Amino acid sequence: MMKCYQFYFLLIVFLLTNRSSYSQNANSLAPEGSLRVMQLMKNPNGVRRYPDALPSLLRMMNEQTWAKFDTDPLFISELTDERIHENPILYINCDDQPNLEFSPEENQALRRYMELGGFVYLDAGIKASFLGADLGHSYAAWDERPEVKEWFASVFPEKAFIPLDRSHDLFRIFFKGLPKNSDLKIEASQKRLPETVLTFVEQEKWPQGTYSFVGMKVKGRLACIASPICAMGWGQDEFGHWIPPISFRIRESAENFDENLKLASFAGGTFEVTREDGLKDIIYSQPGQRPVWVQEPAGKWRIFKYYSGEEISNYAHAFYARLGMNVFLYALLN
Amino acid sequence: MKLVVSIIGSLSALLILSGQAPSFEQKADDSQGNLDANSTDSNVTVLPTLQRSSQTETIKKAEVDLRHGKEGERVGAAKLLGKYPSSLTSSILVGSLDDQSALVRRAAMVSLSEHFLNGFPLYDKSLVEKIFSKLGDPDVEVRREVSTLIPRLVSPMMRSGVERVMVNGRPVYRALPSTLRPDLLALTQRSFLDSDAIVRQNILKYHTYLQVPLPPVTLEKLLKDQDRGVLLTALDRVSYNASQPRVIAQIEKLSLHEDRGIRLKIVDVVRDSNRYNTKYRSILRSMTEDPDPEVTSMAAVELARFGEKIKPEVIDRIKKYLLSARGMSSQVTTILYAVSAMGVDGVEVYKALTGHGSSKMRTVAWQRFLSLSNGWKNPDGWIPALMDRDQGVRTAVINTLRGRVGTMGKISMGKLVGSSYADVRKFLAESLAGAENEAVLEYSFDLLIDENLNVRASTIRSLGVRRETGWLKIMERSLLDDEYVIQRAAMESLLTDPVRGILILKKYISKNPGERISAMIRIELQRAGIQP
Repeated sequence: MMKCYQFYFLLIVFLLTNRSSYSQNANSLAPEGSLRVMQLMKNPNGVRRYPDALPSLLRMMNEQTWAKFDTDPLFISELTDERIHENPILYINCDDQPNLEFSPEENQALRRYMELGGFVYLDAGIKASFLGADLGHSYAAWDERPEVKEWFASVFPEKAFIPLDRSHDLFRIFFKGLPKNSDLKIEASQKRLPETVLTFVEQEKWPQGTYSFVGMKVKGRLACIASPICAMGWGQDEFGHWIPPISFRIRESAENFDENLKLASFAGGTFEVTREDGLKDIIYSQPGQRPVWVQEPAGKWRIFKYYSGEEISNYAHAFYARLGMNVFLYALLN
Repeated sequence: MKLVVSIIGSLSALLILSGQAPSFEQKADDSQGNLDANSTDSNVTVLPTLQRSSQTETIKKAEVDLRHGKEGERVGAAKLLGKYPSSLTSSILVGSLDDQSALVRRAAMVSLSEHFLNGFPLYDKSLVEKIFSKLGDPDVEVRREVSTLIPRLVSPMMRSGVERVMVNGRPVYRALPSTLRPDLLALTQRSFLDSDAIVRQNILKYHTYLQVPLPPVTLEKLLKDQDRGVLLTALDRVSYNASQPRVIAQIEKLSLHEDRGIRLKIVDVVRDSNRYNTKYRSILRSMTEDPDPEVTSMAAVELARFGEKIKPEVIDRIKKYLLSARGMSSQVTTILYAVSAMGVDGVEVYKALTGHGSSKMRTVAWQRFLSLSNGWKNPDGWIPALMDRDQGVRTAVINTLRGRVGTMGKISMGKLVGSSYADVRKFLAESLAGAENEAVLEYSFDLLIDENLNVRASTIRSLGVRRETGWLKIMERSLLDDEYVIQRAAMESLLTDPVRGILILKKYISKNPGERISAMIRIELQRAGIQP
């Protein structure tokens, strides 16, 4: 089995050469020997929220790098499936699973898989509690969701998830920084985002193309990562249109907000969410509406504004796709 | 003098906001409820400690700030009002859409969008028309917001109504058509060619909601647009002007576009527009020579669907494309199924794909190959499918063959009887019922002592159907088997012989009255009217 992973490593070193001028035609005629990514579906007949996501992302990697993936993920329903040891990457969309409860045998198999070099990507492994049952939202909390914490306490009782530093190699292994106009395939003069949105995205939401990830190291190697849901940003139809549309939640400030929001009428509940620095934001949420504003630890108050539209969606998709590709390429190289 | 009153539109203007913020005690209750709802999460609810103002007071203060504050205060007030959706706050925000500051106008538009998205649409036609008129705003962000919001503005803006007109001192009621105001119609038509690509794209997407026609000259310009999103959306609108020569000429040029996605879209467009002009068919033919095999394949299968014969070299490219495809993407799936439209030529493509690396692809290829070529008549054709390493492929093929395979010969059976796959051996056991005598003599014993229980049971059933010499002895022995499944198969076979079979069963239950199968035999015999 170790030989198998060593083979993949050598293969990827060969494959991961940046294609500065890629030909769209070249990708279609692919040689044999492509890598297959496993996807866990505890209920094989269950509903997948983003069925086009992973195949699209793998296809994009085939087009934009020399890495060669089978665009058809290998679905497994149990972690004791023997095929797990034939493939080095296991992708799990936590929102697609009926629950995150596994038998001791499965947990043992997962532990062995990770110890022997396997990489596990827990998409939607981070989920802020205030999102509740709303699965279509991504929020940059900085700790894994409680079910994941409980699960991995059974797999590696001696280990814990640790936030990934913004300077981690994973965020720049292939794509670096945020999408520019050329990446978005729009004219150089076109505004890629509204000004307030772009400022927030560049400085706080996704600085230098990073995001809120937590990871677990096994034998000195990053063997598992968890992120807020990213798969929603990977889908592309045959014409290159991104699917489905994505909106942005942005924190905005304005004059007197620190005084006004403290006293403004509010009828909902509040939630604490862990920040990157370990401190807590207090999220104010109105019943039947999306969260309205946030009180930050330093005493600053900001309002949540929601932006949707073609440019927002295209930008978000471009970011999530680049991030997703970085994750899989990092998994192969490490 | 005419007095015009919009009856429906005026109703919403009468609505006033009367809601009050709950008291502190109420807030504590809400918070507690949320705490319970999230009791399993690590995040906990915290109680606000400040005495907040009422909703009316908050809105009033924001309204004052929005009208009389400095720019920063006006921006803040516009943002805050987005959190209190109501007809009153929407009216206040609409009133600030002419603010001299673009930042205020942007904030007001975003807040209005928030109201709509939170399910609080504005119904007053004049207010909605005011929002829509900002499609002509000098600030691009405002225009983008408005154009994105069009689907939500259409209903109140395009609503028909009734007007009351005084004619010779008597009131007369007249219907108002659901059309766009003339100045807004002209504005929309100008916006087709807005300087911003997002606005152009949105107008192209939503102009039909507004019943604004897209002139052929404008469509032609948009088909030359440098923005990919605009171009793809414009291609969706070709059907309205598909018979226009200038549009056809532009489509022909785009069939050579450098972007593969655009060329794939062109295949879609020319397929749908084929009924408007014969030129579209010739564009499709030329696209079968596209450098990209996916475009070639899509164009070819569409031509095949029209009943056209496809050139052998094009079929060969499709075959190569499918053979090199990594798994079943949506495009590959479309092409794979559409190959059927090529008839006999398609059979060869499917045959080639039976050796594909993807099990899903092999499954479809085998099923189609066997169906299109009546392949079940030729064992040499389908035997390799039963040697496939993937159980899914074998199951699909066995399901296709089951009931269709005629008499199976000794040679065919000999090739499969040693298979390591139990599902294949079970299929052989089932096929024994209609196999050649020689094959039965040669291989039935092997299958009768198979390691797999289901194979043995199927063999017994088949032998029970054939009733070859000595079959009763086999059934009698099988009744003594340790496995209930085997006993039951033997019982079912013996029940079909009302003389000798029944006697054997009676003898068995008299000797083995306590066996589980004996109870079943008694029930079956009684059902057949025989006293055990």
